[in-house]
Amino acid sequence: MADVAVPSTQDDLVDGDLATAPKPAPKAVRSWSPWHILSFLASLRLTVYLFVLAFILVFVGTLAQKYAGIWTVVNTYFRTVYVWVPLQIFFPSDVSVPGGFPFPGGWLIGGALLTNLLAAHLVRFKLSWRRSGILLIHAGLVVMMLSEFITGMFAVEGIMTIVQGSTSNYLEIHDQNELAILTADGKQVTTISDRLLRKDELIQDDRLPFDIKVDRYMVNSAEPIKIAPGEKNIATAGDGLQYLAPAKAPVSGVDTQQPNDVPSAYVTFMKKGTGQSLGTYLVSEWWSEYLQMFDEPRPQIVEDGGKRYQVYLQPKRVYKPYSIELKQFTHKVFKQTDTPSNFASTVRLVNPHTNETREVEISMNKPLSYGGETFYQSGWLPGDQGTRLQVVRNPGWIMPYLSCGMVSIGMLIHFGLHLAKFLKTQMKKSRDTIAPAGSAA
Amino acid sequence: MSTFSRYLPIFVIVPVCAYLGMAAIQPADATGQPRLRDFASLPVMEEGRIKPVDSVARTDLMLLSKIQTFKEGDKKGQPAIKWFLDAIVGKADKAEVFRIEDPQLLDVLGLKPRPQWFRYSAEELEPKLDELVKYFKQAQKIKPSEWDPFNRNVMDLANHYMLCIQMQREFSPPLLLLIPPAAPGQEWRSLREAVQDAQANKTPDQPTLAYREMLSSYMNGDAKGFNRALAGYQSYMRDTYPVESRKAAFETFYNAYAPFYHCSILYVLMFLVAVASWVVYTQELNRIAFWLGLCTLVFHTCAIITRMYLQGRPPITNLYSTAIFIGWGCVLLSLLIEGLYRNGIGNIVASVAGSLTTLIAHNLATDGDTMKALQAVLDTNFWLATHVTIINFGYAATFVAGLLGVLFVLCGVFTKKLDQSLFKSLSQVIYGSVCFATLLSFTGTVLGGLWADYSWGRFWGWDPKENGALLIVLWNALVLHARWGGMAKQRGVAVLAIFGNIVTAWSWFGVNMLGIGLHAYGFMEGAVFWLIAFAISQLILIGIGSIPTRYWQSFGTAPVEPTQTRFTPPVDKRSRKELVGVRN
Repeated sequence: MADVAVPSTQDDLVDGDLATAPKPAPKAVRSWSPWHILSFLASLRLTVYLFVLAFILVFVGTLAQKYAGIWTVVNTYFRTVYVWVPLQIFFPSDVSVPGGFPFPGGWLIGGALLTNLLAAHLVRFKLSWRRSGILLIHAGLVVMMLSEFITGMFAVEGIMTIVQGSTSNYLEIHDQNELAILTADGKQVTTISDRLLRKDELIQDDRLPFDIKVDRYMVNSAEPIKIAPGEKNIATAGDGLQYLAPAKAPVSGVDTQQPNDVPSAYVTFMKKGTGQSLGTYLVSEWWSEYLQMFDEPRPQIVEDGGKRYQVYLQPKRVYKPYSIELKQFTHKVFKQTDTPSNFASTVRLVNPHTNETREVEISMNKPLSYGGETFYQSGWLPGDQGTRLQVVRNPGWIMPYLSCGMVSIGMLIHFGLHLAKFLKTQMKKSRDTIAPAGSAA
Repeated sequence: MSTFSRYLPIFVIVPVCAYLGMAAIQPADATGQPRLRDFASLPVMEEGRIKPVDSVARTDLMLLSKIQTFKEGDKKGQPAIKWFLDAIVGKADKAEVFRIEDPQLLDVLGLKPRPQWFRYSAEELEPKLDELVKYFKQAQKIKPSEWDPFNRNVMDLANHYMLCIQMQREFSPPLLLLIPPAAPGQEWRSLREAVQDAQANKTPDQPTLAYREMLSSYMNGDAKGFNRALAGYQSYMRDTYPVESRKAAFETFYNAYAPFYHCSILYVLMFLVAVASWVVYTQELNRIAFWLGLCTLVFHTCAIITRMYLQGRPPITNLYSTAIFIGWGCVLLSLLIEGLYRNGIGNIVASVAGSLTTLIAHNLATDGDTMKALQAVLDTNFWLATHVTIINFGYAATFVAGLLGVLFVLCGVFTKKLDQSLFKSLSQVIYGSVCFATLLSFTGTVLGGLWADYSWGRFWGWDPKENGALLIVLWNALVLHARWGGMAKQRGVAVLAIFGNIVTAWSWFGVNMLGIGLHAYGFMEGAVFWLIAFAISQLILIGIGSIPTRYWQSFGTAPVEPTQTRFTPPVDKRSRKELVGVRN
């Protein structure tokens, strides 16, 4: 067991298993020699401290979901180098508590654990049956950590919403938004990501027909309401003259009414390179096609030199070379209850580039895989008028399976070997003496 | 070995079997009375599951009154099915089924408190019903999240009262479908639907006629007519739905038998014997406790298998069944430990875990049907059998390690029992349990990830329940590495293992209380209190365990010099020093 231990101090050294472990540098050398650094990096002491940090991070990352949406938490706690943990998360929402503390984020702790693990094996790599279990477990964990890293960096998750009988060829990425500029006949000119919009800066680009200044970006907003007469309004054109979008706090994981933030913004469009205003508009995701599925979406019309453009604030779209038609959506519930017993979408996938046509049923626990992407039944539109499919592309999807196998087999070997040995001695002992040990006192 | 000692297992097995056999005998209905038991076994459909009327009656009564029997006048312990039929035909006015504890609400209704019983009849409520309606309307205007206890109690009572009214008006509680499909491919129908269909077609089918006959005979107190109609319908159901009828009859038997109630009695008995063994007749009582535990475990296993048969599912499908399964896992592991060491520690842990988990299960059962049909997301036997079972077994192993840690601390600090051999064996089993728990919780957690990946393309979503499972894995891994790195010795591992109890309880219940995540089964208010109390108790034990060993009763006198075995990690110099220090 102790053969994985790196003695961090002389005290930890014992005879037996560790006899073969490399000797640490002589005590007299106090400097930060490479050996010192390596043996610190490889020490079990460091492993334990990192486990404590990871434990705390996962715990606060769970509590934080009372106040913030799951994706916000994932991005601010786990897929980050450091995190500012507000004290508020330890208290119920009706008590307001200011302040917080910095804490290492998931990337940092995970990276440190990985370094620690690799260093430990570097220091004492030795192939033997006794160590094969440990090696396999740790190799599996490396695969697991890399897989989370690859998922965090490269996986793309989107939602494809299809109304019954219609066809869609794009995904919507729900934690990202964009300002889409279209020609009057609906052809896309370009899009601006919300990362740019949030900066409240002047946006100038060759692809844009005009310059754009963001006056105010609201991460989350309530549905626009009619403006009361005399109310202050910065909009000078478009629907913003009649409507006002009230800003709201970002949604939390607890909120079942609203799963995603719905942003709105006041933007001023300007004649390219001149600074001459074409009007300040209110753009809102509430008016996008996404939220006006059954009503007319409300584009903001910007006119520049006789040319008319439609502007939408909408969830980020990724267009696909194929299209999917929803033939039939079935949503069964147990009679007289709301509990769904099954929901399924019968769809037809058409890819004109490869002349492929497929008709398949996608249901809970029965996804469709196509072109490196997987389509899962995720939800439905009100009144069962359409379906929502979760579409995922994850280049690292196989890694957890691999890792799970490796670690499980590794643990079975490692603990199994020790258990077998222990049982052998114990059986022998209990054959020799049956007297219970507890009675001796 | 004396004769007594040789045949000791038989002296335990026979009485336990006799007890369980006696409990299985259920009195038949008296002649000349309506055959309620037979009526109770009729299969019906509710919330997507075919079950006996008995289960419906019991869950409905449980909802109102928190127990499965009721009192009417002087007659106590009346079966739920009687209340059910009485309520349908409008004769349940005198049945004391409404549980009211709130003194303010009692005051409003002009009722006298009934300590230790708390239940009132519809007749007693009716004089001040207007008051109840008034407060009900007030509470309706407030958001449910802002209700104070009084509002909530008013709403509960009003809803319970309305349920009874509806049972009378609709001839069945809402959601209950009494009439089986007339032809294959059709759906179950409620009695009202069936009567309407019959009126439209002018040809009532046999089930509809039978129910009408049974209910009207019952209303008129015509036991003969009721029994005749019932017998006819029973034979019809046996012919048309043989499997469902058999299952429903079996479930009715299971309900009345209440096997987990007997399990908890036997576990408590086992605990008493196990504790007694530490005082007198150590060896004999220990073996008695062990065999008692073994018998109970077999019975516990049978009860779980019965549930699996009735539900057609792997053992765990909801929070209630986790409690039963985790208890089973703890008992199994502890008895294995006892079988290996035969020093009584396994018995203590098995009996404590068994009694506590059956108690928890009992309290979770008040939520309603414990064998509910599963919603679409969970409708997969493969993952339920693998991920869910393994992760819960991991919980069980972590709890066993934690309970052993508690035993280590309590024995060491307060008694002189923790001598050299117990010290060694306890440290070994704690360490072994943590290893086992690591294996199971890791595999279970990752399998959960694989399920998520397979079902919605996300291996890991950092969802609270996933994080809860990850915390258990992290904690167990931490304990092991701390041990291997020499940062924790035997006592350290024991104390750390106790913290594992809090981590597991958090993952099991705490996460649900956050009210978020795909996995959260439901919010339980009383449970928040118990969870916090449990966490505090464990922290206190950790505090006690951290007292320097020179103050421990055990180390104060008994010389402790653990010899190194191959199983335990080598005791390094520092821990030897610690132990030598103990001796001085």
